[in-house]
Amino acid sequence: MKTEALKKLLVANRGEIALRIIRSARVMGLKTVAVFSEADAAMAHVAEADEARLIGPAQAARSYLNIAAILEAAKTSGADAIHPGYGFLSERPEFARAVAEAGLIFVGPPAEVMAAIGDKVAARRVAINAGVPVVPGSEVADPASARAFALEAGLPILVKASAGGGGRGMRIVEREADLEAALGAASREAEAAFGDGRIFLEKYLARPRHIEVQLLGDRYGKIVALGERECSIQRRHQKIIEESPSPAVGERMRARMVEAAIRLARAVAYRNAGTVEFLLDGDNFYFLEVNARLQVEHPITEIRFGYDLVSEQLKLAAGEPAADPPSPRGHAIECRIYAEDAEHDFRPATGKVLHFRQPGGPGVRLDTFLGPGVEISAHYDGLLAKLICTGEDREQARRRTILALDEFALLGVTNTAAFLREVVASEAFARADLSTHFIEENFPHWHCGDDGAEAALIAAALVAERVLGADRVAPQAEARAGASAASAPRSPWALLGDFRLGRR
Amino acid sequence: MKLQRVADRHEAEVELVARTGSSIRARIGDSEVSADFERLPDGSAMLKLGGRHYRVSGARRGDSILVTVGPRGFEFKPVVARRAGVRGDLVAPELTSPMPGKVLKILVAEGDAIKAGEPVIVLEAMKMETLISAETPAKVSKIRVGLGQMVDAGEVLVELSPIADSSAPQSEPATP
Repeated sequence: MKTEALKKLLVANRGEIALRIIRSARVMGLKTVAVFSEADAAMAHVAEADEARLIGPAQAARSYLNIAAILEAAKTSGADAIHPGYGFLSERPEFARAVAEAGLIFVGPPAEVMAAIGDKVAARRVAINAGVPVVPGSEVADPASARAFALEAGLPILVKASAGGGGRGMRIVEREADLEAALGAASREAEAAFGDGRIFLEKYLARPRHIEVQLLGDRYGKIVALGERECSIQRRHQKIIEESPSPAVGERMRARMVEAAIRLARAVAYRNAGTVEFLLDGDNFYFLEVNARLQVEHPITEIRFGYDLVSEQLKLAAGEPAADPPSPRGHAIECRIYAEDAEHDFRPATGKVLHFRQPGGPGVRLDTFLGPGVEISAHYDGLLAKLICTGEDREQARRRTILALDEFALLGVTNTAAFLREVVASEAFARADLSTHFIEENFPHWHCGDDGAEAALIAAALVAERVLGADRVAPQAEARAGASAASAPRSPWALLGDFRLGRR
Repeated sequence: MKLQRVADRHEAEVELVARTGSSIRARIGDSEVSADFERLPDGSAMLKLGGRHYRVSGARRGDSILVTVGPRGFEFKPVVARRAGVRGDLVAPELTSPMPGKVLKILVAEGDAIKAGEPVIVLEAMKMETLISAETPAKVSKIRVGLGQMVDAGEVLVELSPIADSSAPQSEPATP
């Protein structure tokens, strides 16, 4: 067994995951190097790392996706390993290869493993060869072949990006007339998000559940599974609530899925942390994709197993063997709080954090980079915080989630916390009647209702009276004068006139 | 003071009638309510209203009042009487961005006549494409943004003017 001593870790990411990785690395006694774009100089991950390197302008393509700049930062800082986090370069084989060629340790699977399963089409072939069931699909996506497949498999069909994950470049096509436009849009989105416009087609399952198996593999060929997570609650095909264990997976089903996941991972000699995703449809499950990285929702697994998965990743990367995991206990639920407007199709929101309140108590964990004054821009993914609540059973975890969300407050950035609270408190969620269409079925046009509206009005009056809160000037509007100067109306506060207590 | 909730444009009138120490009386519409108000060290406050406790925070931002009540966020704007002389021949005399993002494509040119529902701008926000379309037939009088430009929510993208003849021939979309 040969192990390398890791001394200094560069974290090639931002936001909550960069902070989370830095914390685990420091606990292990590693020095940490943060990288940041010009927009992120004041972010928590930069402040918490032992040192930090500027890698480019705000646009991700020129900073967090800039392999040369990141390798240069690793070289000048003397880092001996790079953790890619999730998103950005985490699943790019060319990045893993470049890191290895620079003589550094990549905390993740090697480039050839990533190439073998990172591409959804290639992964599908691996699954078929390993005897793992797959959803009927087609790798050929020119308009004529697409029409032929749609005819054979029956509409609706799903158009997906071959590269990457997270719902980008994904379209459901219900009518043949929409097929060609969907192929083009999906390809463009895939090209923009992953630099790879290839797409493929799949039969669309009516009411599946999303179940995934967490794996850890060492360099000696041992692969262990850390149970499953259910991530059925999604919007725009992106997960927003995950839990472990899945209420739909019994012991026999778990054994079947774990066995299939390990078989598939063995077929590519998988190493480090990875996740095999399945769709569960009644008693059948189908391989979806492999995520060759740490997942956003990994905390619900680590809490149940008493693991620190980043620490496990670093040990595996250093050459330690994979240990047999202990028995899991309890139930864990994760809610992803996004900078989005749940009342308007989850459109992205931006702004500056003017007040922030963090929930607490037994079984409550909040992974976040939020703090007063933090600026949320449109440059990056809108994930603000992950609330992870654990309990002895699902009901206790669920109740802790509701109360923790009640304690959560974020002023200045429109976010999904209140929406998530209603979802978790809903009868359908309590019954665990889940599918990937949960949001469309149960919360199609959500509006937050009148509860608390009177308190909000009084609070607003107190703000107008300067009894509550401080005055803040719109940061974006003023930062770019010129664009709005011509049309800027006079302040409505001035138009309102002097407002005094007790006078009309 | 008349406030409008930005989310649903619902208008409500609120007035603080009296405040003595931590006790306040407010008039909401036609009814008067009593509440208790306690400022907390982190800048937020506890509001006791109708037997319930609400944790609230708030601030002004530009011409908005932002408020949180528990995890819920509210945005209000004061309702200002419209000045005389402003005429609206179009439902929307301009197209504004519904969200912050990047201008990915401009599908029209200045001077183009466009139909209701015709796509005008493609925005990209957080790697998702969003189509901004015209609500009514109109003529494109000015394009206020450039390709690749970052825009804020509410920012004017394209200025429109009423169309003289709705059956006017449609011009070719400009190549961005």
